[in-house]
Amino acid sequence: MLTTEEWDILTLSLRVGLLCVAISLPFGIALGWFLARHHFRGKILFDSILHLPLVLPPVVTGYVLLILLGRRGILGEILNDWFGIQLAFTWYAAVLASAVVGFPLLLRAIRLAIENIDPKLEHAARTLGASPLHVFITVTMRLAMPGIWVGALLTFARSLGEFGATITFAANIAGETRTLPLAIYTFLNQPSGEDPAMRLVIISALISLGALIASEWVTRRLSKV
Amino acid sequence: MLKINIQKKLPTFTLQINVTCPYSVTAIFGPSGSGKTTLLNLISGLDHPDEGEIIFDNTVLYSSTQNINLAPEKRCMGYVFQNDLLFPHLTVHQNLVYGYNLKDPEQRKFEPTTIIDLLELHPLIDRYPRNLSGGEKQRVALGRAILTSPQLLIMDEPLAALDQTLKDRIIPYLRNIRTHLNIPILYVSHSVAEILQLTGQVMVLQNGQILAHGDFFEIAHQTNVLPLLEAHGFENVLPVEVIDETHVKYNTHTLRIPPCDRPAKTQIFIGIRANDIILSHKPPTGLSIRNALPGKVLDIIESEGRQLVYIDTGKRLAAEVTHEAIEELNLQPGDPIICLIKTHSIRVGPNVE
Repeated sequence: MLTTEEWDILTLSLRVGLLCVAISLPFGIALGWFLARHHFRGKILFDSILHLPLVLPPVVTGYVLLILLGRRGILGEILNDWFGIQLAFTWYAAVLASAVVGFPLLLRAIRLAIENIDPKLEHAARTLGASPLHVFITVTMRLAMPGIWVGALLTFARSLGEFGATITFAANIAGETRTLPLAIYTFLNQPSGEDPAMRLVIISALISLGALIASEWVTRRLSKV
Repeated sequence: MLKINIQKKLPTFTLQINVTCPYSVTAIFGPSGSGKTTLLNLISGLDHPDEGEIIFDNTVLYSSTQNINLAPEKRCMGYVFQNDLLFPHLTVHQNLVYGYNLKDPEQRKFEPTTIIDLLELHPLIDRYPRNLSGGEKQRVALGRAILTSPQLLIMDEPLAALDQTLKDRIIPYLRNIRTHLNIPILYVSHSVAEILQLTGQVMVLQNGQILAHGDFFEIAHQTNVLPLLEAHGFENVLPVEVIDETHVKYNTHTLRIPPCDRPAKTQIFIGIRANDIILSHKPPTGLSIRNALPGKVLDIIESEGRQLVYIDTGKRLAAEVTHEAIEELNLQPGDPIICLIKTHSIRVGPNVE
């Protein structure tokens, strides 16, 4: 049904999406909890900076990443010289680009979920003999689960659609960083590319729709509790 | 024994407590906003004082001078909150054993089956909290706290969210815990009727200060305590001796009471609301009322729009009557008078300890 090339594009996209969710989740949960449960000076500014990738043009985000983490970038140079790691123009760069762009969605969902949990439930758990970590895992995380799932699915879906930051920071390298949107764009730039592009468009639409339906289903199922 | 000597500044007043509670069951009574919940949070470790010491049975829970502040999970205090605070994602059984499972098996004093029997939780065991009534939830919360084998059970108005019928149903469970499980209890309430069914030992709190502490009967007539009790439906408290299931002896008089299970000769308290007492010049004829206590009018006062007549019947009784009734009966201090009390308006209180 799918050609080998299409299959490669699809699996690369899924791989980028899954790894993107996997690396953002710990940060999303930690920061979501921190923002939901703590008040400090400059919280609004801090929160706004975290949400910036949601409103910045993705190309700008990608360019900032390139400045920071490119081979000549401020951090990229250190990574390259000290550890021999090159991020830019690899599929890890595509992961990082979509993680940064999708992070506000994840953070928002988790933070709202934690804010909705009565802190008194956590207090009750403490008086029952649970350490703060045990309370966090068995009460806070468990009750925030619908939010965490929704955040993860939205981030995954956003990653599948990521174009601007990826093409700027990871470039458009066939088999390495050419995810679904980049492949569609590439086909559309070729004289006879409209048909293969259309096939990818349909695949892309189906996956995104699936992710959204799954997130809705998870919300309904888990929020019954 | 619980020793508290602490200070904590709150937005409207400073909580300043210096008290030793030697009794197994102590009730903390006070109007809302008097600092009761804050005090419980300080004892349980959910909040900490500005300075001072909290010691329970030789364990220092908090000490500002020694720099000790035990975490709530290390204090072994069973806390029953005003709202049940059951975990919504766990079944009744999972809620019950949440703390039990965290307790070192060698330090467990109660088994889930015992507590499930005692609180009659069997039919609820697989349900989720959302499918429980208010009274059922509170019973589960109680069981959950007891199953942590606490050194002290702290209850913050556990019945406040329930209506009277439910309260009456839960109080026997609380009495069961008191008598059978031998856990010291600190019980916060603003209902005298509720407190008296559990204990006679009361600590009265107002604006963060302890107004009085000790035997309810001793402190109830203190001039600074009385207005607080009156504001919450004053209860007359009389020490009596049980004769049989439905009769008690008060001085030389026999009073008929609702059925009670105490053995004969037990000294107990009974409670009567001020507005449940009817005053009469003559002994009743042709009335269904069983109890008639003769006495002498001591004083007639007006407090917050209510007329209270104090009568000396051996102990002081307060009766609430209307203005018109006082004029019609032409009540004067020193007049002999008869107090009529319906059997079912008498509440059976705790044993005299």
